[in-house]
Amino acid sequence: MPWPLYLALKQLFPTGRRFPFFTFISILGVTLGVALLIVSISVMGGFGREIRNMIVNTQGEVQVRATGLMDDPRAVMAAIETVPGVVATTPFAEGVVMLQHENKPAFPAIQGVDATRVDRVIPLRKFVVAGDYDALDDDRVILSAQLAMTIGARLGSKVSVYSPLLLEKLKADEILIPRELEVCGIFEIGHQQLDSSVVIVTLRTMQELYGLGRSVHGVNVKLADGVDPDRAAAAINRALPGDGVAKTWMDANEEFLFVLQLEKNMIFFLLLFIIVVAAFSVASSLLIAVVRKTREIGLLGALGATPGQVAACFCYQGVIIGVAGTASGLALGFTVVHFRNDLVAGFTRLTGSQAALERFYQFSQLPAYLSGTDLALIVASALVVSTLAGLLPAWRAAKLKPVEALRSE
Amino acid sequence: MSDAAPILQATGLHKSYLSGERRLHVLRGVELAVAAGESVSIRGESGSGKSTLLNLLSGLDAPDAGELRWEGETTLPAARRGRLIGLVFQSFYLVPELDALDNVLLAARLLGPIGPAERARAAELLGRVGLAERAGHVPAKLSGGERQRVAIARALMNRPKLILADEPTGNLDEGSGEAVIDLLLALCAESGCALVLVTHNAAHAARCARRLFLREGGFHSD
Repeated sequence: MPWPLYLALKQLFPTGRRFPFFTFISILGVTLGVALLIVSISVMGGFGREIRNMIVNTQGEVQVRATGLMDDPRAVMAAIETVPGVVATTPFAEGVVMLQHENKPAFPAIQGVDATRVDRVIPLRKFVVAGDYDALDDDRVILSAQLAMTIGARLGSKVSVYSPLLLEKLKADEILIPRELEVCGIFEIGHQQLDSSVVIVTLRTMQELYGLGRSVHGVNVKLADGVDPDRAAAAINRALPGDGVAKTWMDANEEFLFVLQLEKNMIFFLLLFIIVVAAFSVASSLLIAVVRKTREIGLLGALGATPGQVAACFCYQGVIIGVAGTASGLALGFTVVHFRNDLVAGFTRLTGSQAALERFYQFSQLPAYLSGTDLALIVASALVVSTLAGLLPAWRAAKLKPVEALRSE
Repeated sequence: MSDAAPILQATGLHKSYLSGERRLHVLRGVELAVAAGESVSIRGESGSGKSTLLNLLSGLDAPDAGELRWEGETTLPAARRGRLIGLVFQSFYLVPELDALDNVLLAARLLGPIGPAERARAAELLGRVGLAERAGHVPAKLSGGERQRVAIARALMNRPKLILADEPTGNLDEGSGEAVIDLLLALCAESGCALVLVTHNAAHAARCARRLFLREGGFHSD
């Protein structure tokens, strides 16, 4: 082991003494910073991943939309399916309706899906928590869980659906007869907004409600695993016969994802300052050590150490604090991430805020995901900042002349 | 002086310091040659320039004028100083975080990787200075005399050809001081290394083969 590293270790962890306070505090500062970064970025990453899954699970990885209506969806789907990497396609039509059950109204978004094809692209079946997905036909509807609860609808309940087309009829003094649909299923995706305001009907029902004829609003596309959505979307655009435009889930939600990334970056930079403050504390303590150990530094020079080696000794102390703090910060951070839901549950039990948390954050469980890039960035930042903290004391130590250092009082 | 080739040769050394607006001429043409295995004592009043001279002889400081040669070479890079010269200070300068054995080993560590041979030598030197049982003790657990003995062992660790000792008994009581001087002279004689001993103590100085007195920037016979 090079002696500067050996002496740095000995100065941080002296022989025969307990864990020194300076070392403990210095490592603790970096530990807390790294742990907070791990927890925050993991949770932000988790939200991002949940949102990604939610979007892909409800829209597919690529969505093709027509400027107006897509009059011949079969031709469009046939063209899309010629593109390599495309696994399946399914048409959709969407809008907003008024839903009523026992005088309780709601205004959910409505999705018309091709019950024979949708399951190949969007895993709706796995989100159905009550009832039978296969029972969906032109006279039935699947409600989102919160919505069903809000209007008091259960399996077998009849709900009245009022579409904008009925309003047109109302203007023409025609009799207003809502479409009666039977609830055959309840779904829950895990996203508060979708779970409280979406209903699913067959494509034909939706076309009738909106007077679309055989037209649809677009086509959702499922890609094979590992296929790059950007490339696939570009290839689909080239293959499309009409005026439709294919967008990846990322393009379609570009602004939302940008805000999400911006928030994540802001949190990273703000929490990084905890490590920076800890590094200032390390630098300050090491500078004091340089003053306190002036004569020892002089001794090292007298015994044959070069200024560079003396500097390395103090630089290593910053590195060791950084490595130890980062390692313990990772351990603490991942432990907190592992028990995050227990911690949140404990906190919400104490404060009685479970419902508010779900309503506000729209997720029933706190998600977590840390990418390798984020982990590497956190580790590298902590190590670089801690190493920089050792540079100023190292420079001061290297500047000391042995003869003057030995003479100092 | 013995007939052996000098380990250290100082010719016409001058050194001065600024004290406020006055320049103090501490050394004025000091001449000194130290042969291998020779012991030389340097006495002098406080402020006579003994420590300044020792700093020049160890290559830690440079003279204003004059020439120094270590085994005939006019330069003394840090690593060569570590091998050629062992230094003993009045204030011991042990590293408080290291135990006695590691303090002795430090002298070898600074010059390169250490192995079993170096560990064995450090342990042997601690045994020679009577501290074999206290090898694992940090300086705070040792008495002043014991600390200085560790410092002597450290000075001898790299088998130097010259020991420069600056008031090695200055912080010790009379009994410990005597023991330290006995040890220093015995170990230097045993290892064949030359000794330059700076001291206030006439009795300690008298035990060296050659005795010099530093006064008004130059040597006089003691």
